[in-house]
Amino acid sequence: MAAAAIIVNALGVVFLAHAVYSAYEHSLLPSSTATPPSGSALSRSLKPNVNLPIDITLETLFSALLLCVGVVLSSPGLKPIQWNVWAGRLEKSKEAREITEVGVGGGNPYAGLEERAGFLDIRGKRKEFADWIKKDARSEKS
Amino acid sequence: MLDERELAIHPIVQESVQHNARTVSNIRALTASLFGVAAGTLGLESFPGFIFYFIGTAIVSGLIYALKADSDPKAYFFRPLADLWAGDMFGGLMSFVLTWTLFYGLCKA
Repeated sequence: MAAAAIIVNALGVVFLAHAVYSAYEHSLLPSSTATPPSGSALSRSLKPNVNLPIDITLETLFSALLLCVGVVLSSPGLKPIQWNVWAGRLEKSKEAREITEVGVGGGNPYAGLEERAGFLDIRGKRKEFADWIKKDARSEKS
Repeated sequence: MLDERELAIHPIVQESVQHNARTVSNIRALTASLFGVAAGTLGLESFPGFIFYFIGTAIVSGLIYALKADSDPKAYFFRPLADLWAGDMFGGLMSFVLTWTLFYGLCKA
């Protein structure tokens, strides 16, 4: 997908540069001087004053379209906004469950609520630690 | 009231909403300057130029709908009409006019 987007973008830029340069060269030709359009002021302002050759016009439009597709393709993907879809994807995929940093990843959107320091059972933890020390000392003695 | 109740039952991830809005506005800013280049090269003047911009913006909306939103904008935008189709329609207008006049001057003057 990314490689295709880069190729489409590069092609679009090349075509656009060629089209713009062709239009510039065409404007330097003595035959391209615009004839003043006739008609009333309203019809003159509404009529597009395009006197480019059809191939340059088509190339410009084509390259603009190509670049649009390339820009849309190369932009980062959209994320689902519904909580259930988003959290489901977070918990399902393997790379999302990987813990990359402290507090980032792990696949649990409620991790911030579940691991609150204020709700830590400090006496329980201390007892756990004391038991572990005791067990360690006993196993060393024997 | 109905909206609030609906949001309580199906909550929305704020972070994803912001990410999507940023992505769409990036695409719009880039393509607006691009349309300016095209319009200036074609030598469009006054109304046809603005019509060109609005047609191009509609095409870009269609591309986002088809390529990025998987034809299901409800899943990616809170209000699909405002956030995808009509949103940022005028945000890129100034950069469009900027590149439009620049390239018109380069190719015509």
